[in-house]
Amino acid sequence: MEGIVRILRRFVATTIIVSLFLLIFNFILLGSLVFKEINQKPSPEGVVKEVAESVVMEEDNYIIGEQVVKLLQDNQAWAMLLDDNGHVQWDYHLPIDVPRSYNMIDVAKFSRYYLMDYPVYIWVHKDGLVVVGYPKDSYGKYQLNFLSDWVRTLPLRLLWLLLLNVTVALLVSIVIGTRLIRGIRPLVAGVHSLAKNEAVQLNTKGIFGDLAQSINAGSAILQDKTTALKTRDEARSNWIAGISHDIRTPLSMVLGYSSEMEDNSDLPKEQRYQAGIIRRQGEKLRSLVSDLNLVSMLEYEMQPLHLKCVRLSVLARQVVVDFFNNGLGNHYDIELVLTDEAVGINGDEKLLLRAINNLVQNSVRHNPQGCKIILETFLDKDRAQYHLIVRDNGRGIPQEQLSRITELPYSLNRRRSIQQGHGLGLPMVARIAHAHHGRLNLSSDPDKKGLEAVLEFPLQLKNKTGE
Amino acid sequence: MENLKDKKILIVDDEPEIRLMIERFLRKEGFFRVFTAEDCASALSSCRRDKPDIAILDVMLPDGDGFSLLSSIRQFSDMPVLFLSACGEDEDRLLGLGLGADDYIVKPFLPRELVLRLMAVLRRVYSSPVTDHLTVFRLGEQTIDLDSAIVRNNQQELPLTAKEHDILVKLYENQGRIVTSDALCQAVWGDDSYGYENTLMVHIRRVREKIESDPSNPIHLLTVRGLGYKLLVKENQ
Repeated sequence: MEGIVRILRRFVATTIIVSLFLLIFNFILLGSLVFKEINQKPSPEGVVKEVAESVVMEEDNYIIGEQVVKLLQDNQAWAMLLDDNGHVQWDYHLPIDVPRSYNMIDVAKFSRYYLMDYPVYIWVHKDGLVVVGYPKDSYGKYQLNFLSDWVRTLPLRLLWLLLLNVTVALLVSIVIGTRLIRGIRPLVAGVHSLAKNEAVQLNTKGIFGDLAQSINAGSAILQDKTTALKTRDEARSNWIAGISHDIRTPLSMVLGYSSEMEDNSDLPKEQRYQAGIIRRQGEKLRSLVSDLNLVSMLEYEMQPLHLKCVRLSVLARQVVVDFFNNGLGNHYDIELVLTDEAVGINGDEKLLLRAINNLVQNSVRHNPQGCKIILETFLDKDRAQYHLIVRDNGRGIPQEQLSRITELPYSLNRRRSIQQGHGLGLPMVARIAHAHHGRLNLSSDPDKKGLEAVLEFPLQLKNKTGE
Repeated sequence: MENLKDKKILIVDDEPEIRLMIERFLRKEGFFRVFTAEDCASALSSCRRDKPDIAILDVMLPDGDGFSLLSSIRQFSDMPVLFLSACGEDEDRLLGLGLGADDYIVKPFLPRELVLRLMAVLRRVYSSPVTDHLTVFRLGEQTIDLDSAIVRNNQQELPLTAKEHDILVKLYENQGRIVTSDALCQAVWGDDSYGYENTLMVHIRRVREKIESDPSNPIHLLTVRGLGYKLLVKENQ
């Protein structure tokens, strides 16, 4: 909406500037094009003035200069000098139909208009009046009369003219602009919806019909692709869920009978020991199956999140206590450095607990010789991200494996390495972080020894989503 | 306790091997009235005919799912029901428990786990409340009676306040294991309990004054620095 108002404002401003420019341009055109040939050079007034100045008395005869004669010839004009009594004293090519004598009324008449249809111009001479006549129909003579009031208020009137022009331009531009915007608004909304990956169905009538059609087509393609992608993800996830489901029943049997044999005091010790191995491997398989299922659900964004305000410091402490309670060896030393404990993030408690547990488990499993593990929580300086760091001083991970360690095992990019675990631990952590709009950063500095895993979560998602 | 083994148990699962295995385990544990069914229809008829005291239901059955089977059973019987399912998702678990199941066990399971949970349900439903025991335990010289919230020793009886009682219950439930101060605060003050750590310390000190012979050098209620507390109960004393 704001964008549309901005467009309208710019459109109106542009229209006003354009119309002002057009007005000025028109004035210039009026001056240079329309009034350019209003009279030829030299003007009749100029000619008559020159004639009057060059007519001189010489030995009882009036003569004129050669140049003036040429001027009159060029204009095909004639000239005469009237004395005080209205008699022609001198003339130059005076047409025959023009009288040789005038009274006061005649002079008054032709001084304004025509003399026998000849446009004539007059100039005062010291001996009388010089009259220059131009050929018939060569000039039109018009009288302009103005009220002096009118002349005085002319600047104001011009200002009004300008203002009215601007107002009309403004109104016209607003009307046209609004109509245009009304046409554009659905398109704008459509494009915005496209960006949000929502289905768009615009009316394809109107001047922007083809554009609306394209947007509709784009939306349809996008929706189809999203649906196809979702179907495929769902199929994959369901496939893994189905496999893990089908593994559970036979695994129940393996676990059931092996643990029964393990507890059976009638069997020799050797067989019971072997049954114990089968049971432990069965349990490993059980955790692999459920982890695989969880990771695949997270990967295809099908894992439901039970969100609530969770304090990571509490979870970190819980994880450490669980390790101690489950008999963590004395060669592991776990230290907690918890700050900003009051701060909670919006998250799924079970999944986050699992993530932290996996990170600690990872440090424990890969350093059977023992190591020091530090769990640290803190809020970063701009109070936007909450960090949880699990750091150990153990063997670390070689740089070349570090970038791929969070990819799913069995994928093309990740080579199978010799490891004790099933390799789903860190990919699961990365996906849990992703599901919470956070991320997992792993670094292993060869100088400092050990692995550092940093979990970053944005603070209070619900502020953004407005829940 | 012995009469619990007389209870009739119905096992509903479409896999014959699973039925056989569970029946075997249960018989080994001393249950002798075990019935089996392979689908909803036969399960329902068995319910009407044999009147079992408890049922173990699979979720996926050839002619329907365990959830709707439970709903059908509920129309005429209030017997306790355990789900034994290969679907371990939270949604299924919550759906099952929400329908009124007494427990939800995910396959694969260990037989001991199944039997223990089955016994727990049976005890809860069929044992008379009198046998549902008073929680009384000994700590060195003192005897702690959690049900009447009293600490007894040779000379006197000390009452426990409500908070002290809650703390001791939580610690006793997890005896020998570290309980985080967060979990203790939550047990005592509820979900939004941040900021009660110092109050908790005060309460712990009061508990020690009642249960320890030398409260400054506790031997039963131990502090695990930075993490929480641990209650050591030596049963044989």
